[in-house]
Amino acid sequence: MNKKLKKSLLYWLLLSPLIILILFPFAVMFITAIKPSNEVLAPTWWPQEPAWRNFIDMWAVTNFGNALWNSVYVSVLSTMLALAVSIPAAYAMSRFRFKGQGFFRQFLLVSQMLSPIVLVIGLFRLVVWLGLLDNINSIVFVYGAFNVAFTVWMLQSYFSTIPKDLEEAAWIEGASPAKALVMVFLPLALPAMTVTAIFSFINAWNEFVIALTMLRRQESYTLPIQIFSLVAGRYTVEWHHVMAATFVATIPVAIVFAWLQRYLVRGLAIGAVK
Amino acid sequence: MIRSPLTNPYVLILPGFLLAAFIILWPLYQLGLISLNEVNRFGQLRGFNDAENYIAVFTDPDFLGALWRTAIWTGGIVIGTLLVSVPVAMILNDDFYGRSIARVIIMLPWAVSLTMTAIVWRWALSGESGMLNSGLQNLGLIDQNIQWLARASTAFPVQIMIGILVTIPFTTTIFLGGLSSIPDDLYEAARLEGASRWQTFREITLPLMKPFLNISIVLNMIYVFNSFPIIWATTQGGPANSTDILVTYLYKLGFRFGKLGEASALSVMMFALLLAFTILYVSLAMRRDSK
Repeated sequence: MNKKLKKSLLYWLLLSPLIILILFPFAVMFITAIKPSNEVLAPTWWPQEPAWRNFIDMWAVTNFGNALWNSVYVSVLSTMLALAVSIPAAYAMSRFRFKGQGFFRQFLLVSQMLSPIVLVIGLFRLVVWLGLLDNINSIVFVYGAFNVAFTVWMLQSYFSTIPKDLEEAAWIEGASPAKALVMVFLPLALPAMTVTAIFSFINAWNEFVIALTMLRRQESYTLPIQIFSLVAGRYTVEWHHVMAATFVATIPVAIVFAWLQRYLVRGLAIGAVK
Repeated sequence: MIRSPLTNPYVLILPGFLLAAFIILWPLYQLGLISLNEVNRFGQLRGFNDAENYIAVFTDPDFLGALWRTAIWTGGIVIGTLLVSVPVAMILNDDFYGRSIARVIIMLPWAVSLTMTAIVWRWALSGESGMLNSGLQNLGLIDQNIQWLARASTAFPVQIMIGILVTIPFTTTIFLGGLSSIPDDLYEAARLEGASRWQTFREITLPLMKPFLNISIVLNMIYVFNSFPIIWATTQGGPANSTDILVTYLYKLGFRFGKLGEASALSVMMFALLLAFTILYVSLAMRRDSK
């Protein structure tokens, strides 16, 4: 036991520089968020008196509610879109051998490698052509499409772990493929789909370049763009409001992520490295 | 087997394929088209102009600077991440008190959008009011405020440091997957043979981890090469384009300077480069599969 304690102390000591660097921005974010406005520019570490009011003021000053709604709207719809097309595709990839399967896999791989930034000018033209500029629905489509590769990949690796015998047994019992799918397969696949959906949601929640390019009016801004607009190209930045907004926009997602990261570890280990 | 649309794989993959292809191939075709045309700033094409856009990109000194910095940026972050992530993954793979807390902390930067991370760092690095300067002064490490983001000589290394910090979680995740696939028996056997820790690391861990190392390097090269928000939200490539990498330079060309032709030409070249990376990745992954 004593040996384990020694090892633990050594490990924590080795990790400590990294952990300090990781936690430092969170500390800055939180401390600035609760500083009263007259203390923000003083580089002290702790405010004289925490100003919890900042969180309430921030909400109105930074147009937070509207951006929050846009972010939720875009993330939920794009996740639903990506899953709606990915679940059948992943099912096909994990259950059947067919001509063109290799091609589809390569196609997914290449689209996964392409970040939106490389295509941004083409995407901009696409959105203008569709008449959807400054419309958050355009973002839903682009996010959904760019998430297809990731969601198919994750889902396929989980689907492959569900034994095929179960469905076949249902077929023999006289169930139609549709019934077998709904009654047997989908319940078993539900956890995988939930986890994939959450990661797809987080991807959309955090996206920056596409939103920066396609959204022009403040009413359609998502959270990252709204907060970026508060600091970009301004002479005076209300840092305590910005940090309060960042805090509220970040922490819930970070908690969900921290809780779920082991599933991602598993999914990536089964799927992505293959 | 019962016939049904649900047993036809082509019907099942069609919607996903169409959606992804439409959003990816159409823009790609447009980029190719614009890059070969003379184009005004509103995007109207004015006829083919040979490869003038490509030549214009190559003769622009800002492009060459950005290209060089992209190499440093990508190389610095990928190598830096690798050097930190291998020991971190080995520590996290071992059993010790508080391991699950350590894991959550190390993974934390992954959960936060790069934009937000970069905005917080921009504030933390501020010359007069930044908490980094005051923290370092309190510790007695510096005696004057450093204007971190005002000069490329400090801004760019700091941006690379932030890049490493946010790339560690993904890389560590891949390595943890790799480490857990190494059977314990091997370590057991090595210990019975009297191998030292260093020998065990070199002769067992490293060779068996190699496919995971390779894949993480290639994937990170692609992600880092494409990474836009860190630089954009801290310096926007400034001061005077001195921290521009290809992606930020591309964005400026297209949406600030309105040089759509050149920006498209640059996009096409970057796409070609990414494709080369992808082929490298596939061949590495295939080699592993065939083993």
